[in-house]
Amino acid sequence: MRHALTLCLLITAAFAPAQVLVFRNNERWEVNNPLALDDKGKPVPNDPRKAKFNAAFDRVERNTRTGGVEIAATKRLEEAVAIEWPAVSQLKEAREDIQRGKATRALELTESVLRIFDKAKKTPGSPWVTAAIVKLDAIDRLDNDAALASFLTTLEAVDDGSNLELKQKIQLAKLLQKARRGDHAGVIADADALLTTLDNADTLARLHILKGASQHALKRYEDAMNTYLRVPVFYGSQQEHMPKALLGAAKAFRGMDSPALKSQKLGEVANRYLRELVAGFPLSVEAEEAKSLLPKEDREAAAAEQGAIKDAVVAPESDLATPAPSNEPAATTPTEE
Amino acid sequence: MAYPVSRTYRMAQAALLAVLVALAPLPHASAQQAKPAAREESPTEKLWNEAEKLLAEKKYEAALANFKKLEEQADKAGLSTEAKAAIVFRQASCLYLLAGRSKASADWAKLEQALTRFLTTYPGGTGALLDANNNMRGAARLTLIEAYGNQSKWDEALRDLETLRRPSPETREEDRVLAFVLTAKVLELRAKGRSPEELKQALGQAMNLLKSVISQGIGTPERREAANKLVEVYTALGMAKDAEQLRAEIEAKGVGSPAELVRANVQRLEIGDARFQAAEGQTDPKAREELYRQALGSYQGTLRRAALSRALTAAVESRQQEIDRLNRAFTTPDDAQKAQIEAAKAQYDEVARIQTEFSANKFYDAIISYRIGLCLLELNRPWEAFVAFRDIFQSNPDFDKISGAYYYYIDALRRIGRNEEALKVSKEFLGKFPESPEAGPIALGLGEICMEQEEYDQAIEQFNWAKTNVKGLDAGSLQEIDFGIIRALFSNVEWAKARTALEAFLQKYPTSPAKESATYMLGLTWFYEGKYPETVGNKDKPGALTTYFKDFPKGQHASDVLYRLGVVSLNIGTDTLYAQGVIESDQRGPDGALAIARLWLNRYGEAKDETTRIQLPEVHTLIGDAHIKKGDVAGRQAEDLDKQARMTAAPAAKAALMNKKREAEAVKEEQVKLAIAAYIQAARTARQNNAALEFALGEATKLLSGRGDHLRLRELYQELHDWDPSAPKATVYLYEVIKATEKMGDSPEFRIRVERAQSEFGNRLATARKRIDTLEREGKFNTPELTTAKSELAQLSEELAKALAVIEAERQTAIQAARQEALGVLAKAIGTSINDRRQEGSERLISFLCEKLARRIKRVRPGQEPVPGAYNLKQAEADLETTLGVTESSGSLIAQARLYFARSQLALLGREPARAEAMLRRIADLYKPEELSPAILGTVGDFLLSKRDPRAESFFAYITEHHRSSDYADFGFAGLAELRLAQGKPREALVLCEEALALGIALSKEKDIRFAQARAQVELGQLDEARKAFTFISGVREWRGESTSGCLYHLGIIEEKQGKLQEALVLHQRNIVAWKKHERWVAKSYLAAGEILVKLGQRDAARTNYQEMLTKDRVKETPEAQEARSRLTRL
Repeated sequence: MRHALTLCLLITAAFAPAQVLVFRNNERWEVNNPLALDDKGKPVPNDPRKAKFNAAFDRVERNTRTGGVEIAATKRLEEAVAIEWPAVSQLKEAREDIQRGKATRALELTESVLRIFDKAKKTPGSPWVTAAIVKLDAIDRLDNDAALASFLTTLEAVDDGSNLELKQKIQLAKLLQKARRGDHAGVIADADALLTTLDNADTLARLHILKGASQHALKRYEDAMNTYLRVPVFYGSQQEHMPKALLGAAKAFRGMDSPALKSQKLGEVANRYLRELVAGFPLSVEAEEAKSLLPKEDREAAAAEQGAIKDAVVAPESDLATPAPSNEPAATTPTEE
Repeated sequence: MAYPVSRTYRMAQAALLAVLVALAPLPHASAQQAKPAAREESPTEKLWNEAEKLLAEKKYEAALANFKKLEEQADKAGLSTEAKAAIVFRQASCLYLLAGRSKASADWAKLEQALTRFLTTYPGGTGALLDANNNMRGAARLTLIEAYGNQSKWDEALRDLETLRRPSPETREEDRVLAFVLTAKVLELRAKGRSPEELKQALGQAMNLLKSVISQGIGTPERREAANKLVEVYTALGMAKDAEQLRAEIEAKGVGSPAELVRANVQRLEIGDARFQAAEGQTDPKAREELYRQALGSYQGTLRRAALSRALTAAVESRQQEIDRLNRAFTTPDDAQKAQIEAAKAQYDEVARIQTEFSANKFYDAIISYRIGLCLLELNRPWEAFVAFRDIFQSNPDFDKISGAYYYYIDALRRIGRNEEALKVSKEFLGKFPESPEAGPIALGLGEICMEQEEYDQAIEQFNWAKTNVKGLDAGSLQEIDFGIIRALFSNVEWAKARTALEAFLQKYPTSPAKESATYMLGLTWFYEGKYPETVGNKDKPGALTTYFKDFPKGQHASDVLYRLGVVSLNIGTDTLYAQGVIESDQRGPDGALAIARLWLNRYGEAKDETTRIQLPEVHTLIGDAHIKKGDVAGRQAEDLDKQARMTAAPAAKAALMNKKREAEAVKEEQVKLAIAAYIQAARTARQNNAALEFALGEATKLLSGRGDHLRLRELYQELHDWDPSAPKATVYLYEVIKATEKMGDSPEFRIRVERAQSEFGNRLATARKRIDTLEREGKFNTPELTTAKSELAQLSEELAKALAVIEAERQTAIQAARQEALGVLAKAIGTSINDRRQEGSERLISFLCEKLARRIKRVRPGQEPVPGAYNLKQAEADLETTLGVTESSGSLIAQARLYFARSQLALLGREPARAEAMLRRIADLYKPEELSPAILGTVGDFLLSKRDPRAESFFAYITEHHRSSDYADFGFAGLAELRLAQGKPREALVLCEEALALGIALSKEKDIRFAQARAQVELGQLDEARKAFTFISGVREWRGESTSGCLYHLGIIEEKQGKLQEALVLHQRNIVAWKKHERWVAKSYLAAGEILVKLGQRDAARTNYQEMLTKDRVKETPEAQEARSRLTRL
């Protein structure tokens, strides 16, 4: 068993995608990943065959051996014309942390990425932009207006319009600031204008959530419900945003409720969305709020259901070691249903 | 950047069938012009070049003519075999391009000839003449197949394709792969129009062929094309899962070209459709739901128009940039560079074409929303469906399926309970699309919504509106609308109008499927008016009901008709029915109705269908009525006999008459008993028939109460209560159970025993009195005999009194026991709801219980000592605890809280407010808001507010967040608004009040909410609005009291703020005089009046005002009094 696992790790390592800095004339430098950590969480020792970043992360140094002579070469990071950097695990982790309400930790994780690629913000393929976007999300969760304003200034300096995603995130962050200032009518108007120009499902889902929150703040519950529900209806594939949308929709339904609308059972509808949120996204920070909003009895039922889900998720070790034969056909040779 | 795709594939992408002849590098006008004249051209070369130029200029007819001419001269000019082959190939190209231009210019037969000639005559093809690496034979063979296909020569096409699919050095690999794709396509086309089984078989064949191709991977564009085709085949075969998997793989391996992007989206939609279709045919609900969910996932994963448009625009731009770049780079291009430029242009054309085609589909987004909406409706998620369809109206109001969208949108609205909106939208739709196919169903739905809401006049209006305004209603819809009007008239109890409409309907639609129902309803219009003779008609002209009975003996209303004929018999006898042959001879006579009822029970008594079962209580009621009628006859007989007996002097005759009278009374008694049994049976079987239940219950209650049979009455109501203890009616039944239980204590038995004792002692007393009379008449006064007689009489009287006292004591004990039992019943009922926070009726029952216990408490005037052993609050509380079976430390949290609530209610009723407050405070101390019911939250919240306890906020907030549809929702809003005002946040208070009023939440607290709103408006300087609000509140008679005093004070303040001091003073003084007992506002008015008087320079009057204020009992204790004292010293 141990042998098989080691072999597997070796194979994985052998095929692990490399980090490459591309310089003029397609000169490619494979570099040590300063973000790589071993399974104990310690930095992975540098491979002497690859280039490495200096301490300030503004240069890369490489030693090559030609004809028995070792030659040291240095290049500035700014000189790189492209960066090939496979997905940064820290950013993935940071995203998950944000979902779970651990925004401070997410912020720490993004900071390291931002620091390393600070001199290559605009370089094609640089993870800096992705890290910046994750950082924006983390700041949003922390409700830190000053930090948001300061980081937005940095981002605006970087934004030259070439990165559409970054541009859209800046627009979203500005809307967020507006919402924090209580200018909800302004947020709704701006969001409506933006909605006609955007096409990215992720950004659209975020924008709807922002707009829904402002409508809710203005007690326009029906409008808020309509806006929030557009996320599960049209952007159902954007699972990341579902918790916020479901929570918002549930709150909107609660707001709409009144004795005159008793027959619509809006309270029940709201609770149904909250239960779905707790059951479907048990680790999200919204699930915790949903639980607190649920009536006691429903909360207990949801917690029981959540427990069942968690139990199902944790597979026993034996299952991991010997996967059960699957009926699923191979992708290239589909079978009859 | 150019795609890494073969030229063949690039062209093949343009159409589903390969477009291959045009693959050979076409001459280009610019290229021709740029070509330098190295030497003088021969006539043949000149002709070739001219033909090529024409071809490049897309003048295919002229080019074809030139190539033909060239072929004629070929031998003479001594052209090589390759050149001759190229000429024939070019002819085929012209024919192919002409075919592509229009149907009229297509001559597939000629193309077939040209290609066959090329392939048979020139085994080496064009050699390297046209393309160094392609002799064009492969292309020609594929095009020939297309020519076959277009002439439906499937067998020839398949034969050639089979050859082409075989590995051969002559056939290029990419052509071979495309041959597989084409074969699949041809197989599918050939099977079109054949049986579904044959089509499935063909698709199966196609699937196997394509699978064999992609088993070697999908790395090349041709193989991806094969994979794409396989996705379509999977989808057509309903193998959505396989299709989805393969599509994902294609996407992963694809290059993200615009064509791939568009195609992937179309495939996602198709896969979604396949799943939706599979779901429709699925019978297992779980599997069906899963399929709808998968379809929804496919639709949701589809890119929207904006995203696709952006990608296509970017692609067009990048290709244009590529052309520009090449033109700049190659100012004098060589042949290879020219080919590169041409390739870039071809790519541009292709992407531009895809963009144009995509732009033409302007409803792309609406199509996706529509499908998403359908899935959501099927998944029973009407709110989301509502959002999906609404999106169509907002974003694509011109959508070509807008009428369908309306139809489902209305469905969603009805499912979420928004009938009013559904009505509005239905009308909007019918106004916009009166001729759409959905107009009929929607017009009908319009009336149906009103029918559901029991708004029959409106339903008639809607049906008539639809008839007048909707164009092109089909005959079926028109008939349904006419019948809908009849149903509305009928439900609205407009019998005469309904009758006229029914007669007209039967005449207009003699073969209507609704004929049976119409005939039945026509009979009922007479029946419900009590016109029984008209209901059944006569021998010559049968009535509608008898017509139905004969024409539809097994009709859906046959059981009801039989029952109604029983009712008719009861009222007018059975002669007419017998004459018409409706009933048999054994059902005739005075017991006819009972006989018919028995017949009904025999036929339908065990029926399982709901419609028939609903009639069961009515039949039992009929039996009860029939027995009552018979009893009445016997009763009248008894009365007559009694009269006769009184008139008869002869003892024998009198005794005989009295005997007969007793017999008649016995008959009456027997009939009444049978009637009672029938009514009870009717009530017990009437759970689904409210009208029958009400009637039978009323009759049974009347008869049983009259006879003092409270036990049976209690049993009956208990049974009804137990049907559904949480139903609104259950409380009413419970009260009846309690009432009957209490009355059971005073049973008729005691009356009988009293009568018996009185009768028994009466005779003995009469004898004793008679003896005394006799002795006195005989003048035996003062004799021991008389004394003894008198003493015996006194003893007898005493014995009687003792006997009666014993009975009375037993009666009182029984009454007490019954009361105790009644309390037990009430407690049991409370017990069923006491643990459920959401049962709002529980607190009502608890209050009822407290009232009953509080009545027993012996009230003690202040200062007096309570009577030792008298029932007091402590004992009542102990009884309460015992009765409820809950203690402070047992039962659920809500049950414990309800115990405290009950104690507070009991203390209030027992006039111990301090104890009541202590109990409410305990609730606030011990329980979280989420553990309490809305009624307790509201009550405790109000208590805390009155004590300025900040915890009130959490109680009110919980109501506003969680119990907005509760009857106590307004407690939350009113309480929070009051708190905000106290916190100096009038804007927030105003928002809360406005929200409550806008949402219709203000019920019992409307006065408080409006009062808080007006006060907030004063604080915010909205004086005119505030004045209106205060005037409104003080004008409501039911609200007169403290708030009126508050209104007067605030109206005075408003006047003062607007500088009208005199008017303000009048208002304050009016308040002081009229509402003395509401010291809270009167004290404020005193202060305000004093201030105004000072402003008016009337310092003496101001002093008098303050002095008067400080003499008033209640006012001098207020905080304002302190201020008055201070002002007084300053004055």
